Amino acid sequence: MATTALPGRGYLEDDTPTVWSWVKAWLLTVDHKRIAILYLLSINFFFLLGGLAATVVRIELVTPQGDLLSSDLYNRAFTLHGIIMVFFFLIPVIPAVLGNFLVPLMIGARDLAFPRLNLLSWYLYMAGGIFALSAAVFGGVDTGWTFYTPFSSTYANSNVILTIAGAFIMGFSSIATGLNFIVTIHTMRAPGMTWFRLPLFIWASYATSLIIVLATPVVGITLLLLAIERLWGVGIFDPALGGDPVLFQHLFWFYSHPAVYIMILPGFGVISELIATFSRRRIFGYEFIAFSSMAIALLGFLVWGHHMFVSSQSVYAGLVFSFITMLVAIPSAIKVFNWTATLYKGSISYRTPMLYALGFIGLFVIGGLTGIFLGVVAIDIHVTDTYFVVAHFHYVMVGGTIMAYLGGLHFWWPKMTGRMYNEVWGGISALVIFVGFNMTFFPQFVLGYLGMPRRYHVYPQEFQVLHVLSSSGATVLAIGFIVPIIYLMFSLWKGKPAGNNPWEATGLEWQVSSPPPTHNFTRIPVVTSEAYAFPPEAAERDAASWRPGSPL
Amino acid sequence: MATSKHDTPGDAHGHQEPAHYDGHAHGHISVATYYRVFGALMLLMFLTVGAWWLEGVVAIPRLLGVIVALTIASTKTLLIVLFFMHIKVSSRMSQLYAAASLVGLLMLFIVIMGDYFARGWPPQLGPLP
Repeated sequence: MATTALPGRGYLEDDTPTVWSWVKAWLLTVDHKRIAILYLLSINFFFLLGGLAATVVRIELVTPQGDLLSSDLYNRAFTLHGIIMVFFFLIPVIPAVLGNFLVPLMIGARDLAFPRLNLLSWYLYMAGGIFALSAAVFGGVDTGWTFYTPFSSTYANSNVILTIAGAFIMGFSSIATGLNFIVTIHTMRAPGMTWFRLPLFIWASYATSLIIVLATPVVGITLLLLAIERLWGVGIFDPALGGDPVLFQHLFWFYSHPAVYIMILPGFGVISELIATFSRRRIFGYEFIAFSSMAIALLGFLVWGHHMFVSSQSVYAGLVFSFITMLVAIPSAIKVFNWTATLYKGSISYRTPMLYALGFIGLFVIGGLTGIFLGVVAIDIHVTDTYFVVAHFHYVMVGGTIMAYLGGLHFWWPKMTGRMYNEVWGGISALVIFVGFNMTFFPQFVLGYLGMPRRYHVYPQEFQVLHVLSSSGATVLAIGFIVPIIYLMFSLWKGKPAGNNPWEATGLEWQVSSPPPTHNFTRIPVVTSEAYAFPPEAAERDAASWRPGSPL
Repeated sequence: MATSKHDTPGDAHGHQEPAHYDGHAHGHISVATYYRVFGALMLLMFLTVGAWWLEGVVAIPRLLGVIVALTIASTKTLLIVLFFMHIKVSSRMSQLYAAASLVGLLMLFIVIMGDYFARGWPPQLGPLP
C-alpha cells in the first residue's frame, strides 16, 4: 500500500513572501482549520456588535422614563441586538468555529467533504452580515428579530428588505456547513471509527446539521414571501390582501424553534467532551446521550406552535404543541442526568473549561425548567411577551450556547493555537461570567412574572430596582466577556507551548501536533477503541501530579 | 482513544479516499432523458396555463381547480427531484434525506392546515368556500 507523504507543517505557518500573498492565502484557503479561524474572528466581531446594542438597551432601562432613546430608536436597538445575536452569532458560532475546526480532526479525516463549499459558506456569512450591517447603518429596522407580519410586510417604515436579505443569505451559509458535516461524517470517518465510537460532539454536530438542512430552507422561503408581499403587495400574510398573518408565524417558527436546537445541540456536544475529560471518565450512558441528540432534533420540529399560544392559533393545535413540548424535556433531562452521573466518583479537576461546563449545567437547568413553565398554555398566556420569556431564552441561549462556546474555545484553544492561556484569569473570568449572567437575567424572571412587558423602554417606577440590578449584572457580564479576549490574545505571544495533549484527553484531535498540521494526519489513524477510553490510572496520575497552587 | 497508524492512499494534496465511502456505483442519467424530462416540464407548464385559462371560461368547482393545479405542480416537482437532482440514481442515504425533507414538508402542511380549519372561524367568514 502506498505511503502518503504529506506536509507536516502547522496550519498557521506560512512561507508567503508578501503581505498580499499572505492575505490571499487566508482568504482563499480551503483548509477547514483556517476557515474556522476566519469564522472565529468574524463571528466574535458580530458578537461584540450585538453586545454593544445590548449595552444601549440596558443603559436605557436603568431609568423608567425612557430618557436616552426615543421609542422608535429603542425598537431599532433591540432589533439590532436580536438579529445580530441570533442569526450572526448564536446559530453559526459552535458549528462554524468549533465544528469546522474539529469535525475532520475528530473523525480522522484530512478535511471536510467539500472544502470549497466550506469557504463559500464563510463568504455567504460575510455577505449576509454586510447586508444586515448596512441595514443598521442606513437607519436600522424596527420589527424585532421575528419580523412578524403584517407589521413587517405592510406598516414598518424601516430597512426590512435589507435585513431579511442578510438573514436569507446567511441561511445558505448555514445550509452549506450542515450539508458538509453530514456528508463528511457519513463518508470520511477513519477506519474503525464506527458510529458508536464517535465523540459525542460529532453526534451533536450531526443532529444539528440535520436540523439545519431540513429547516433553514423554510425560513428562507418565508422571508422571500415576506419580501414579495412588501415589495409588490402580493397577498400572502396581510389579511387586507387576503393573506393570513398567522401563517407567517407558523412558517417562521417552523424554522426558528428548531433553530434554538441548532444553537444548543452543538453546545451539548461540547459539554459532553468537557465533562468526560475533566472527570477522567467515559461519559455515562454514551448511547443515551447520542440518541437524545437525535431525539431532540426530531422532536424539535414538532413544537413550534408553543410560540403561538396567543396568536389565534386553534386551541386544539395549542394543546398538541403543549403536550409535545413536554416530551422535549425528556431527552434534555437525559443529558443533564448523564453528565451528573459521569461526575459521580470521577476525578474532577476545575480547570477553566470545566468551570464553564458546570456553569452551563446550572444555567441550562434553570433555562430548561422555565421552558416547561412556558410550555404549559395557562402559564404561557399569563407571561407571554413579558421579561419572563426574555429571561428564559437568555438562560438557554446565552447560559447554554455561550457558556458551551467559551468552554469549548478554552478547551481547544491550545490545539488551535499551540499555546496555553493564563489559567488563573481563565477561572476568574468564568466565575465573573456566571455571576454577571445570573445578576442580569434572574431579576428578569421576577420582572416578567410581575408583568413587565418586553420591548418597552418606558416602565412603571416599581420595576426600577430590578432593572438597575439587571443592568449592573450586564456590566459585570460585559467585563467577563472582555477579559478572555485580552488573555487569549496575550497567550498567542506569551503563552506556554501547549504540547500535543495538555489536558491528557482522549480523541483523535489530541494525537496530532498543536497547532495541527495542514492536512491533519500524515497517515490516517485506525481507531481500535471506544470514545473516552481513559486508562484506569488516569485519575491516580492526576492526584499524584497535584501540587499546592496547581489548578484544582 | 487507541489507534494505530494506517497507510491510506491519498495524493500529495492530502485528498483522501473516504474510509467509509459506501463504494456504491451510482447510476447515470443520459442526456436524452434530460431532454425528455425537459419536454415533459414544458408540457406541464402549458397544462398549468391551460388549466388557469379553462378556469376562467368554464365554471369549474374551486376545489377541483386547486386539486388539478396541485397535481400538475407535484408532478413537476417530482420530475425535477428525481432526474435533475439525481435522486433516482443516488445512494439510499441521499434518497432517505430527500424523503425526510418531504415528510417534513408534509408535516408542516398538515399541521398548519389543521390549525387553519380548527381555528373556530365565524360561519360567515369561512374558511371553507
